[in-house]
Amino acid sequence: MNAAAISAHIEPIRHEYAEGRSLILPALKYAQTEKGHLTREDIEAVAEATGFSAAYVESVASFYDRLYLQPTGQRVVSVCVTLSCMLRGSDELMERICDRAGVSHHGGTSEDGMITVQEAQCLGYCDHAPAVQVDAEQTRGPLTLDDADALVDELRTSPRPDELWR
Amino acid sequence: MPIRNVVYRQREAGQVLTDLSDYRRAGGYEALRTALTEMDRDETVYAFVRSGLRGRGGAGFPMGRKASFIPKDSVLPAYVVCNADESEPGTFKDRELMETNPFQLLEGITLAGYAIGAVRGYIYIRGEYEHQARILDAAIAQARTAGFLGQGVAGSGFDFDITLYRGAGAYICGEETALLESLEGKRGQPRLKPPFPAVAGLYASPTLINNVETLSALPAIIEHGADWYASMGTEKSTGTKLFSISGHVMKPGNYEIVLHDTTLRELVYDIAGGFRPGREFAAAWVGGSSVNVLGPESLDTPLDYESMAEAGSSLGSAGCIVMDDSGSIVRATLRLAQFYRHESCGKCTPCREGTLWLERILQRIVDGEGRMEDLELIESLAGRMVGRVLCALADTGVLPVTSAVRRFRDDFVHAIENGGVPRPEPMMEVPVGG
Ligand SMILES: Cc1cc2nc3c(=O)[nH]c(=O)nc-3n(C[C@H](O)[C@H](O)[C@H](O)COP(=O)(O)O)c2cc1C
Ligand code: SF4
Ligand code: FES
Repeated sequence: MNAAAISAHIEPIRHEYAEGRSLILPALKYAQTEKGHLTREDIEAVAEATGFSAAYVESVASFYDRLYLQPTGQRVVSVCVTLSCMLRGSDELMERICDRAGVSHHGGTSEDGMITVQEAQCLGYCDHAPAVQVDAEQTRGPLTLDDADALVDELRTSPRPDELWR
Repeated sequence: MPIRNVVYRQREAGQVLTDLSDYRRAGGYEALRTALTEMDRDETVYAFVRSGLRGRGGAGFPMGRKASFIPKDSVLPAYVVCNADESEPGTFKDRELMETNPFQLLEGITLAGYAIGAVRGYIYIRGEYEHQARILDAAIAQARTAGFLGQGVAGSGFDFDITLYRGAGAYICGEETALLESLEGKRGQPRLKPPFPAVAGLYASPTLINNVETLSALPAIIEHGADWYASMGTEKSTGTKLFSISGHVMKPGNYEIVLHDTTLRELVYDIAGGFRPGREFAAAWVGGSSVNVLGPESLDTPLDYESMAEAGSSLGSAGCIVMDDSGSIVRATLRLAQFYRHESCGKCTPCREGTLWLERILQRIVDGEGRMEDLELIESLAGRMVGRVLCALADTGVLPVTSAVRRFRDDFVHAIENGGVPRPEPMMEVPVGG
């Protein structure tokens, strides 16, 4: 994403913060919505829009799990593996989703580039365990193993949203 | 059923209150009007103090006292920060508040802001709650249009607005000083305390930080009175508390109960539906996962701060994870150790290295490569982490591990002597929810 587009997103909210540094995270999150991850150019554009160095912006971005500095699939499926979900079958669910997506049981990106599967920690959805999240927008659960197959198939065939909030 | 919906006003009203007019019909914004027209700031803080309300994010610090620490003579503006990072395993009570009753939270933040003379409130919401963030965005916009936020709140002389800030996936950002760092556009790593946020918090300004549930309780306290609130529960555990319950119970969900009125047994069996036929209670992590695990002998403990402490654990965030006798405590403990290893921010060596080692040792016990000395090693490792770190992640993150090894020692010994622990069959029943 270019610096002008990022500026258009953060300038209207700049007055809400005593220090402009606070705009870095909103800018990074917004920049990521374009490709689903952040490239070198995105980091530089965020640096330009916020007025901080690219090295600093990158050091901030690298701290957060949901900011991706490596390419991801078109959709990211986060499978919660924390205790409440584990008790209700998240390990089996993770394996099934990985199998269907064609990636190793540790997760990864499918060969066609459509889906990234990753383990996640408690999603705050334990009453629906085992739970998964598609990007950051949809949380679903409880999922059966058949639901897992259906989810992967659905994500493979449905169009990607205009903005990817992860 | 000892359910008492006070903070879960949406349940009492029988509908979601995501529309301002519905919230107002359910009594919303009456408290703010009362405070702005009939109470001065000190009286408002004093009402919070008298209510006895304790922080619901985990530590249980009295809310009113914290508000009274905000200096009055500061040349810097004061802020209210709402901790909506809700990432403690087993905890999902704030999610429901934001999803179905967002204005009550906005009203609570505004009341807190009025009480401490703040210029702005920030809600720091975890990145994974994008859905809830959009509901809050819409609610903030409605509140601004209706004059409940902005210049001259509700026609008074009080100017106040609220900003929603989205996190990006980091449990540690729920720790209050890490949260402030993140909100300031930095890596979310905890700060050395003191200074405490009340004195030097966001942008080095006086800052009141409270959990979503804590702030959401303020409107009812002002509307019905501090004495009314304090009349529920015990002297040190006043009011109602939201419990999230999950794991092997039949009806996982959120339930609001008066503190001390209900025992753990009643919560598990009567409210959350107990277990599948033939299954029995084995263990519970009552206050989220960062607590000592409890066994069946603790089932008759009343759910309040003092009783939980007496039982050797703590109420924490009241995210109660329950396991029946089909589960493996050794595997459950490993899973929690993995959580803390993953979420350690890496700033302090004892935490970064210690969480890694705890996971490795537990992993080898599960894999059948454990040795008896490992149990002593776990104790000594944990002992070398506690108190030598910047934040409570390490101090409390070792609790589920050390307490499990002590309370369920036989299970660990059995795993070591019998070639590890096979993966148990998970419970696949579809939960009913509550
Ligand atoms: C590692 C760690 C994670 C925490 N996560 C949260 C959280 O997700 N939500 C929360 O309200 N408090 C969390 N806390 C507690 C906060 O530091 C702080 O005590 C709380 O927000 C104060 O609000 P309260 O007094 O209303 O509870 C966490 C603390 C630690 C040490
Ligand atoms: S105790 Fe752990 S999580 Fe807390 S600041 Fe130190 S390294 Fe980070
Ligand atoms: S443990 Fe999976 S959502 Fe909480």
